[in-house]
Amino acid sequence: MSTTTVDRKSTRNSVGPGPAFHRVLNSEFIKFRTLMSTVILLACTALVMVGFAALGAWGTGSFAEQVASDPEAAAAVAAQGGDLAVSIPTSGIVFAQLILGSLGVLLMSSEFTTGMARSTFAAVPKRVIPFLAKLIVVMVSAFVLTALSTYIAGLVALPILGNYDLKLDLGSSQSVKLLLVNSIYVAAVAAIGMALGTIVRNSAGGIMSLVGLFFVAPIAFQLIPGDFFKEASKYLPGNTISPLTAVEHVPETLEAWQAGLVLGAWVVVPVALAMILLKKRDV
Amino acid sequence: MIEAKGLTKVYGEKTAVGGVSFTVQAGRVTGFLGPNGAGKSTTMRMIMGLDAPTSGSVTVNGQPFAQHRAPLREIGALLDAKAVHTSRTAYNHLLAMAATHSIPKSRVREVIEMTGLGDVAKKKVKGFSLGMGQRLGIAAALLGDPQTIILDEPVNGLDPEGVVWVRNLVKYLASEGRTVFLSSHLMSEMALTADHLIVIGRGRIIADAPIAEIITGKGQARTRVRTDQPERLMQLLAGTGVSVEAHERELLEVSGIDPRGIARTALENQVMVYELTPLQASLEEAYMELTKDEVEYHSHITTGASVPAQAGGK
Repeated sequence: MSTTTVDRKSTRNSVGPGPAFHRVLNSEFIKFRTLMSTVILLACTALVMVGFAALGAWGTGSFAEQVASDPEAAAAVAAQGGDLAVSIPTSGIVFAQLILGSLGVLLMSSEFTTGMARSTFAAVPKRVIPFLAKLIVVMVSAFVLTALSTYIAGLVALPILGNYDLKLDLGSSQSVKLLLVNSIYVAAVAAIGMALGTIVRNSAGGIMSLVGLFFVAPIAFQLIPGDFFKEASKYLPGNTISPLTAVEHVPETLEAWQAGLVLGAWVVVPVALAMILLKKRDV
Repeated sequence: MIEAKGLTKVYGEKTAVGGVSFTVQAGRVTGFLGPNGAGKSTTMRMIMGLDAPTSGSVTVNGQPFAQHRAPLREIGALLDAKAVHTSRTAYNHLLAMAATHSIPKSRVREVIEMTGLGDVAKKKVKGFSLGMGQRLGIAAALLGDPQTIILDEPVNGLDPEGVVWVRNLVKYLASEGRTVFLSSHLMSEMALTADHLIVIGRGRIIADAPIAEIITGKGQARTRVRTDQPERLMQLLAGTGVSVEAHERELLEVSGIDPRGIARTALENQVMVYELTPLQASLEEAYMELTKDEVEYHSHITTGASVPAQAGGK
């Protein structure tokens, strides 16, 4: 065409920055924080975590008080009391994983249900880049939120436990371990949710598969007779958290390192599948 | 410049786009015209790398879209007014898109002003009318100040003022030397906006020519004839390539033969003719003519007033 067009193009190419990873990460973070529904879900998670810890502290306390008259039971509680109290800050974790896992599903499925995906992938045609950027945003926010609300839950539980003369040390190694492991676990669930949302591309379907995997499958596997399902049940993602947080290895469960690997596989395989499908399918 | 070569998209057994080849040049508005379901949107999604072609290829400025270093600065597209998460505000939507290319906030505000979204920019897209959604889509397309602009049905849902605005905008963008490719199923809109026209029907290119050529070339010249012996004249004119429509008593519309031919036939057979008016085919008619065999969904309207009587073999 005309020389002016050519000049225009060449100067343009030399000035304009393209979609480098850190820019896409920033874009995904803007998308994350500018949705009211996301903010509400995060607030709900924190509220549930703190609320359950308060209830747990109250329940544990009154239980300890009731058994105090019975010397035998009191001794048992005294021996176990520390363990009971230490898991109180994370007593809402089942709900946190459900909410944040669903959030993972929604953040990706809504791209497709709203048509936003067309804008996203027209701006960044190498689709794996926005996928990974979103995955980081989802996992980091799930981790940070769980860790923060666990800590706040602990702070709220402290005075309640104090009323019943029960001790809880938030700085103890077991407390810190529980906080970190549970936060990593919830981040993993959120990643699985996002992978499901990418594969299914449908909010209801994605959340249902997540609930099926984490809530229905463990119960169903227990009800089905036969050793196979009893054995297989250990490898369900939702059943990896108890070996991971156990103080000592409980017989008939996975070792902590095994549970860690199983959970890792449950993240890596769906995420890899999601990325392959995202690259292959039309938007 | 956009170049498509043998571009094909097959969904199951249905061929949406069947091996189309065309070039969209810079510096002019190229219209992409076709009835609903003709393959316009599919073609545009393939240009943007959103749908992978079953076969064939398409490049923008010499490269496949996905290989451009800064895609938003190269090509801006409005593919669908609803390519937005509707719970986000217009400003935040544009801000998130701009962030991928480090486009400054000042540019976001600029395109908001340019598209007249100033008053609603901080509102959720959920409450937008179709026309406001289109404006937001156009704002997103202009965000990276791209050399190539693709707009799929941009005037859909716009009010008359908006239609004129889009018309002037695309003409201005083309005058700056940019490549402008815009689709529509409305012939009348294309007649006012486009310099060049690519007509598509059922996934095939039917015409690819400057707009003037399409009107004069493809549109068959028609002649209005008034005579007191319409039946007799119809029989006389009947022949290969000639079609005659009887609109009302003593009034015929003849195509496939020029006025001189009609006059000669009438003179030789002593039929009195008291009007012979050449009719310029409108673009709308030319379009209908081009696509009449290609539309996917036909509507059948029965009107008593004008029942076309076809004479001669077609």
